[in-house]
Amino acid sequence: MSKGFGSKMKNISDTNLLLTITIVVFFLMYIGAMLFLGEGFLKPQALFNILNANAALIILSCGMSIVMITGGIDISVGGVTALISMCCAVYLDKAGGSVAVSVLIALLIGLGFGLVQGFLVAYLEIQPFIVSLAGMFFARGMTTIVNTEPFNVANEAFVALKNTRIIVPGMGSVNRLGNYVDAYVEIGVIVALLIVILLFCVLKWTKLGRNFYAVGGNSQSALMLGINVKRTKFIAHLLCGILAGVGGFVYFLHVGSGSPSHASGAEMNAIASSIIGGTMLTGGVGNIIGTFFGVLSLSTIQNIVSSAGLDQAWWTGITVAAMLCLFLVIQSVVMAARKKGNVK
Amino acid sequence: MKKMVVGIGVLLCLLLWFSSCGTRIDDAEQPAGTDLLEEEKELVEEGDNYIVVGISQVGSESDWRIACTESLKSTFTQENGYYLIFEDAQQKQENQLKTMRDFILQEVDYIILDPIVETGWDAVLKEAKDAGIPVILVDRQVKVSDESLYTAWVGSDFHSQGVKAGRWLENYLEEQGRGRDKIRIVTLQGTLNSTAQLGRTDGFASVMEEHDNWTMLARRDGDFTQTKGQEVMEDFLNTYPDIDVVVSENDNMTFGAIEAIEAAGKTCGPDGDIIILSFDAGRAALEAMAEGKINADFECNPNLGPEVSRIIQKLELGNQVEKFQYIRETYFDPTMDLESVIEVRTY
Amino acid sequence: MQTNETKKAGASSFLGRMVRKQVMIPLAALLLLFLFNLIVDPSFFKIELGYNSAGNPVLSGFLITILDSGSELAILAIGMTLVTAATGGQDISVGATTAIAGSVLLRVLCGTNSRPETLQAPIIVAFLVACVVAMLFGAFNGVLVAVFKIQPMIATLILYTAGRSIAAWINNNELPVVSDETLTYFGEFIPGIPIPTPFFIAVACMIVIGLVLKFTNLRLYTQAVGINENSSKLNGLNPVFIKILSFVILGLCVAVVGLIKVARISTINYSVIAKDIEMDAILAVALGGNALSGGKFNMTASIIGAYVIQCLTTTLYKFQVRSDALPAYKAIVVIVLVIVSAPVVREKFNAFMAKRKVKEAA
Repeated sequence: MSKGFGSKMKNISDTNLLLTITIVVFFLMYIGAMLFLGEGFLKPQALFNILNANAALIILSCGMSIVMITGGIDISVGGVTALISMCCAVYLDKAGGSVAVSVLIALLIGLGFGLVQGFLVAYLEIQPFIVSLAGMFFARGMTTIVNTEPFNVANEAFVALKNTRIIVPGMGSVNRLGNYVDAYVEIGVIVALLIVILLFCVLKWTKLGRNFYAVGGNSQSALMLGINVKRTKFIAHLLCGILAGVGGFVYFLHVGSGSPSHASGAEMNAIASSIIGGTMLTGGVGNIIGTFFGVLSLSTIQNIVSSAGLDQAWWTGITVAAMLCLFLVIQSVVMAARKKGNVK
Repeated sequence: MKKMVVGIGVLLCLLLWFSSCGTRIDDAEQPAGTDLLEEEKELVEEGDNYIVVGISQVGSESDWRIACTESLKSTFTQENGYYLIFEDAQQKQENQLKTMRDFILQEVDYIILDPIVETGWDAVLKEAKDAGIPVILVDRQVKVSDESLYTAWVGSDFHSQGVKAGRWLENYLEEQGRGRDKIRIVTLQGTLNSTAQLGRTDGFASVMEEHDNWTMLARRDGDFTQTKGQEVMEDFLNTYPDIDVVVSENDNMTFGAIEAIEAAGKTCGPDGDIIILSFDAGRAALEAMAEGKINADFECNPNLGPEVSRIIQKLELGNQVEKFQYIRETYFDPTMDLESVIEVRTY
Repeated sequence: MQTNETKKAGASSFLGRMVRKQVMIPLAALLLLFLFNLIVDPSFFKIELGYNSAGNPVLSGFLITILDSGSELAILAIGMTLVTAATGGQDISVGATTAIAGSVLLRVLCGTNSRPETLQAPIIVAFLVACVVAMLFGAFNGVLVAVFKIQPMIATLILYTAGRSIAAWINNNELPVVSDETLTYFGEFIPGIPIPTPFFIAVACMIVIGLVLKFTNLRLYTQAVGINENSSKLNGLNPVFIKILSFVILGLCVAVVGLIKVARISTINYSVIAKDIEMDAILAVALGGNALSGGKFNMTASIIGAYVIQCLTTTLYKFQVRSDALPAYKAIVVIVLVIVSAPVVREKFNAFMAKRKVKEAA
């Protein structure tokens, strides 16, 4: 029987195996939280709150995953998010602009970063780390040049959009006053879910998606297969930039303010989520659904830490790192074992 | 086969990790060794035993903030009948909003919020109100369309600190026999438009109006930091050779000012050329005062816990509470027994 | 006419040779920055001898600031170069582990009291403990990279996330303050010597690593592992050991930086100390013209690269650029530098030059 199981395991691709691990761990964790920490976690809204708070991170992580699948990295996404928030906030509040144009601004900024970084990485063959490091510096610096003080946006149309809630039917709960409170998600969550589904399909069923995996797996052989490696890398970075634009606006929509310290560390959270979701930095392995669950796992563990009464904010850092470490070691061990098995 | 072993290993690792999480909680919260999980269940079953309080603190950026956190934590202990959930937002409003929503979801009994900025709280405060959870603000205030969204505010009266400084100077000069002399004053202001800066500047100005012989030579922004305070003070000393009084709107700037004064070859403090008034009264400043470098320091009391607890007890009994509660604050000058004050000073 | 041409050709070939030298990349950048300052405001080079509040002579001026503040970066660049060369990846946890080293140092110095009147242990003991701890954390990174074959950037992401938390935890989240004169010597000036001490520490580190590289096989082994791990294994090297060793050396550098950082302010702020220094350290390696994918390295170039970054920072400060806005300008300079030194661009440039030469000849 065990042999059957083993051979079945062998048939699963690396990507799917890591994906399975991620999903199983997430559910174990969430169920554990429900059992032991009760109260908050039992309500569906707890999950929706996680989604609301992390919609932007989901989008950013999707972009990160794609770049990582092609074997690159982009650490500018957090800075770009901050820059977008600040630009949109200044535009809406100080210039009294319209929401539609601010969306356009966000997309253009993201597109700009994607184009430049993609060009430098793909066509000038500069290391993606250095390129996006400069991108991060530039975005963070520009944010404070645009405006130094954090402030909330008071634009009415924007606030209305920010406070728009999509009721999830049948998921509400009764609070202590005996009132029934509807469960809700913010607009950003819908955007994030659509993007996850869209990218999943692109990666799974389009030529472009397969090219991403091929380039990341082995760019030499990808080249021999007639894939335009440079263009594929360029598109990956471009896509990541655009997604940073979308994610930046979703983030802005969630917080409703501009601040130089916004989304600090978001790039590292995005990378961590991608890794927990089973994407490997070496390229060629990864999955958007896994990334989605990676983000959820990351924030669930943070929620567990806080509701368990571990009061120091420091604990969050330590637990997230422990989780990351665990996943990395699991991935490394599993992959090594599989490689050995294949050789045999 | 091998993979199965690995898989089982993975699961075991996770379980181990979870259980270690559990022990960590025990370590952190249960000195007596009681099982937290049972405690929690009890909490769920007979929630009346403890008053569950959720605190969303700004961060731990200054000694003052750390002392404030310490005061809140030592007040809301299980011995005092509270169950405390504390969250450090690390200087981010989004973290505070998320924390508040989690508190609402967990149905804590009270939320204590030290808001990082004044705006952007309407929606979440409304949610708390709809859920029937009273919100008590500490330290900083909020700007909301509807004041009933929060229950009470506890914090410092910066205006009265400024007035107190003015009155102290009045008395001091009287005693020194300089009540009629021309007094030249400079002010190192805190970060412009911050609540503390506005209150302290206005408070001191209101006393100044009563004295024609006091002149304010200059007020400049020292950003509440030591380096900036030093820079501005150096500039003051170059421009105005005959400064009598320095009003420094917090301790850090005072330290900078003292360095600048000493570098310029002047002296300050009770026995010196220049009178120094400072605000906050942190431990380091009191030590400097004991060394004779500061004339008077006006306290900004971080000990907010007991006052908040009093409000909660009142609310528990169904009583009305005052919307704005100023915390009791005092001042220090070298006529007092500084040694013993420094001994018990927490920040 | 003819001599003129040969001279020109000779000069251009000499220039070409110079340009191809790796160490020229950061040197050229440094010269460019100096030139810029010379033209815009020569007071940049003014050095003054003054007296500090304790009455000791101290040198001050922008050049001294560069030497002083660049020390940490230069020391980290040493370790980062080795790690980059051996593993083909970078350690992004150095800032966080600096916080840990500093925290350990203060913990040992202060004992249980967070504000001791006198030191509870000699500074050298505290420093050695900090060294051991930092090297252990370095070894942790090294094991993840070498044994578990995790990408260095990702492996060090773990300590990047947890490091500052661990640092705070070591001191129970207190901020200990040391009031000891001797400790400040390491971060400021030794009485009587007008040059800032961190510079001497940095020079000492450079001399040590210089000697090590000269008299041991470290350089050869590191490069061999970085260029091709498998073939180095076949040649009897132990790549796992070499990789871990490079991380341990970096850990030692981190401990030294922790000492300087703590000595500068006599206390610690966990979330701010050595913030973003990892990015600058990696940049220093890249500016030195070293391939971030590992293999051959040039230590001198990395160290000069570190001072280039510091020079840039100081120049920008001098022009009253807000410290928050600094990264934007830094980014532009970095991009220009990496584009100029990118192999593809150089090839194109050389091809272009060759074409022109052909045309000229015709």
